[in-house]
Amino acid sequence: MYLINKNDVKKIAEELSKSYAVYGPVVEKESGQTFFEKVASMDEIDLGAPIPSMPPKGIVFPQIESIMTHSYNRETKEAKVKAEFGPEPKALFGLRSCDLTGIMCLDRFMMGQEYVDEVYLAHRKKMFIVTNTCAIPFKQCFCVCTDSGPSAKEGYDLNLTLIDDKYLVEVGSEKGQKLVDSLGLQKAPDDYVGKKQTVVDESIERFEIISTDNKAWISRAMNRMTTGFVKPEIWEYIGNQCFECGACSFVCPSCSCFNIEDVNRPDHSVVRLRAWDSCSFEGYTRMAGDHNPRKPVEDRRNKRFFCKLSYSQSKKYLRPGCVGCGRCAWVCPGDIGLPNVVTYIRREITG
Amino acid sequence: MDYKAGICNFCGTGCGHLLKMKDGRVDGVFVSQNHPVSKGRLCVRGWHMHELLRTEERITSPMIRRNGVLEKVSLDEALGYISDKISKDIKNPAEELAFLASPRSSNEDGYLLMKLARSVFKTNNISIDSESGHRNSINVLHRGTGMAGMLGSLEEIEKAEFILVVGTDITKQNPIVGSEIHKAGLRGAQVVTICSRESQIAKLSKKFIQVKPGTKKIAIAAMAKTIIEDTLYDNDFVKKHTEGLDGFANALGALKDEDIPALTGVESEVIKAVARDLVKAKTAMVFFSSGISGLDEDTISYIYNLFLLAGKVGKEGCGVNPITGICNLQGSYDMGLAPDLMTGYQPLADSAVIKKFNTAWKTDLNDKPGKGVYDLLRDGSSKLKALFIVDHDESIVRFSKEMKSLDLIVYFGAFENSFTDYAHVVIPTASYVEYDGTYTNTERRVQLSSKKADGDKNIQAAWKIYAALAAKKGANWNYASASDVMAEIARLTDTYSGISYAKFTGLGGLKWPCDDKHPGGTARLDIAGMKGALKFVAVSGTYAVKKAQDQNPFLLMMGQGQHFWHQNNIMKRTFIPKREYNATLLLYPRGYVEICPEDAKKIEVRDKWPVKVVSAHGSMQVAVKVTGDVKPGTAYVPYFIQDMISEFLLEHKEIIDQGENAIIPVKIEKV
Repeated sequence: MYLINKNDVKKIAEELSKSYAVYGPVVEKESGQTFFEKVASMDEIDLGAPIPSMPPKGIVFPQIESIMTHSYNRETKEAKVKAEFGPEPKALFGLRSCDLTGIMCLDRFMMGQEYVDEVYLAHRKKMFIVTNTCAIPFKQCFCVCTDSGPSAKEGYDLNLTLIDDKYLVEVGSEKGQKLVDSLGLQKAPDDYVGKKQTVVDESIERFEIISTDNKAWISRAMNRMTTGFVKPEIWEYIGNQCFECGACSFVCPSCSCFNIEDVNRPDHSVVRLRAWDSCSFEGYTRMAGDHNPRKPVEDRRNKRFFCKLSYSQSKKYLRPGCVGCGRCAWVCPGDIGLPNVVTYIRREITG
Repeated sequence: MDYKAGICNFCGTGCGHLLKMKDGRVDGVFVSQNHPVSKGRLCVRGWHMHELLRTEERITSPMIRRNGVLEKVSLDEALGYISDKISKDIKNPAEELAFLASPRSSNEDGYLLMKLARSVFKTNNISIDSESGHRNSINVLHRGTGMAGMLGSLEEIEKAEFILVVGTDITKQNPIVGSEIHKAGLRGAQVVTICSRESQIAKLSKKFIQVKPGTKKIAIAAMAKTIIEDTLYDNDFVKKHTEGLDGFANALGALKDEDIPALTGVESEVIKAVARDLVKAKTAMVFFSSGISGLDEDTISYIYNLFLLAGKVGKEGCGVNPITGICNLQGSYDMGLAPDLMTGYQPLADSAVIKKFNTAWKTDLNDKPGKGVYDLLRDGSSKLKALFIVDHDESIVRFSKEMKSLDLIVYFGAFENSFTDYAHVVIPTASYVEYDGTYTNTERRVQLSSKKADGDKNIQAAWKIYAALAAKKGANWNYASASDVMAEIARLTDTYSGISYAKFTGLGGLKWPCDDKHPGGTARLDIAGMKGALKFVAVSGTYAVKKAQDQNPFLLMMGQGQHFWHQNNIMKRTFIPKREYNATLLLYPRGYVEICPEDAKKIEVRDKWPVKVVSAHGSMQVAVKVTGDVKPGTAYVPYFIQDMISEFLLEHKEIIDQGENAIIPVKIEKV
């Protein structure tokens, strides 16, 4: 535990910028919207900005990226295949705990199983992560129910918590320790453990009542889903409200569905693109021979909610797939963001 | 960080988005949380805009067809060729030359194309491609209120207590408008859908009135009749603000109460209850789609009269709201892209209007209205020889035989499409993110889309090319920027008179009428500012319906879809929507016709089995899709498969022009 003055906190980012491309929360002026983006100057970073409109998922898993090119030369009859990825080392500065948890879910999906995704690995390698404890949650936040906030517990190199006019700096890795040492930060007195807890407790008090008055709010719904006790009518009610836009998947910090598309270029070479996809699209699950295990929209919708909330999926992520950021509730044209789905499922229990 | 605020230009909703730029190219698209229309939402099309905008499948050079092959030439050569050819071959442009404009062009592009056609090439034959059904809506609304556009406001949907949706599959066609309606319903608004097919919005409505095909008008008339007979209407409002109620009441006389159930398939009491709910609500809005699958003018007149009667226009949370299917369909009419209209619905035949434009343009306009391009092509005796086409986004070429016989077809567009096969001259234009332009959404909201990407430096904005072509004919327009063009539009158009590029700050644009009285734009119809009274518009007063006959027992209706939206070229350049479109094609390669399980049993077919659909005019072979969304005796075809449209539907030209009310009696047989 170390301390740094509030006004000096960007020195950490400055130090990181010597070896990393630095990303942080930035408010885009024209739209007034926050993005977690690469910055040219540390002055752009605004640690007090609202929750970014998009998760930092795009930094490790972009909306669209070219991963390979291939071309065929008719004369020499030679084919050339070239991998097209090799991103620079990145530092994420001022990440929220929910968004870090999202990256950890992606890690387990992309790298934690028998197959390791090379492209993702290249993005994720040599990454430095500085999280920032959320003292003030937003209206749609419910990370307290999904065990992913308001303060990060693991996965960071450094974790910041604003206490009065100082940031408490917690170290989570050797890399983090080295950085703290190089900045020569002063050690924090022991009573900062309690002070931090107070900040976290006060933050939790500020959450909407629905996510704090009953800690089993989500876990009861998870239980219900896993054991198959959700009535088909509830799924149909939810499915009828799905506009099939894919937005919930796109804004989800932990959604990892993607599509691969080979695109012909005017010079006759081919570029292979990887782009975000959603399991809620009909074409996503269609197989050869027209077989589609998830034809009706409610089936496809269910799949996504199972991915976020069922035990079998949670075993894969080692935690619930939902990180409680609430972005899906913002963007859903049908009003079936995850919190509402949980509410509908619970309504069945509570009447 | 390089994010640029912009507007989506697929449908007419006019949602805001943020484009992520990388090396001068579009690299991603994200929602705009603070945009007043979309409020942080996009539909499946909007979420894949970047896939379209980063495509390299563009027209890259001007081309002239020589010996049957398109050869690359310079822009100057192409424009010179067009200019010479027209000077040489076209003696009577009013009959021999026509312009097919695009509802996708910016206001500035549309305006200058109109100016080019009328003042330089001396023809008034100019019309917009597809979606011409919107003309029906603006005709009715202009006749009744003097305002040729939506009377309400999308931002006020949340304030409506009662929402009537007539026909449209709105959650698929304009999903974000559908979302607003759905959310209003969740908050307690009474959402009622009148439709022949159980669409998603029908499923989400509090009440769904499944009328027989072609009888929406009767259901609406029955509601009006109840309100008049039971004198439920707001007498003060009607007396103070309206005229012509008696005429409308008389026209309802021919509709007999006892006939309503047989005609519509719905009990009178159900319809009457909705009418009472409408009157009782403090605020109410009605939505219907206004385009290729829109309603006919008579039905729209009934809808408008019903809402006038209920006193639900000109107040916050109220309005008669036609919803446009393409980004600048409303703006296209505002810019005078019609044979008989100048900008802002000013009639060409009005001598004062002609005089104003003659003075401003230093020209001598022909005051005789021209003809629509499709009318000319359909008319066997037309003398049409040359055609200019802009950005045709449908992949199906109507009247292809007639097109082939023309001497000159000039195609302007950013992307290749089936029209380039017919064109003698092809001229590439910049895509909409590569230059400044304004677009007017379905609620009259004029929004600026600023230049974001550099694009190919040899490819210019369409309006600049039109100016260069005008210069070839000796007209010196001298616009330095799109902003100059808007300044001229504002000078010549009352409704746009207060609009200028300098006023476009922040998100959301300005809603016309924007003038001295309304410098910040106008949210909804301003009754206090109107010159005369609101008028009940004339209606047919006839209530005959097309019935299924013994030999053709099914009534076939048509509609649009989401991924195969406008069966267009544009969606095919995206990845995910294209895949979804292909998924449908794989299941139903030749298209499908929806029928209900009872009918499927009767003709002994199962889902995906081939059937033959036969009408008095022709036949087609498609697969059946068995669904509970349609009632017995009703069949539905989505408008997207080339063979289905060119071989069958287009044979029913007059019927198709009736839009959503187009009903074809057919026989469906097992193959």
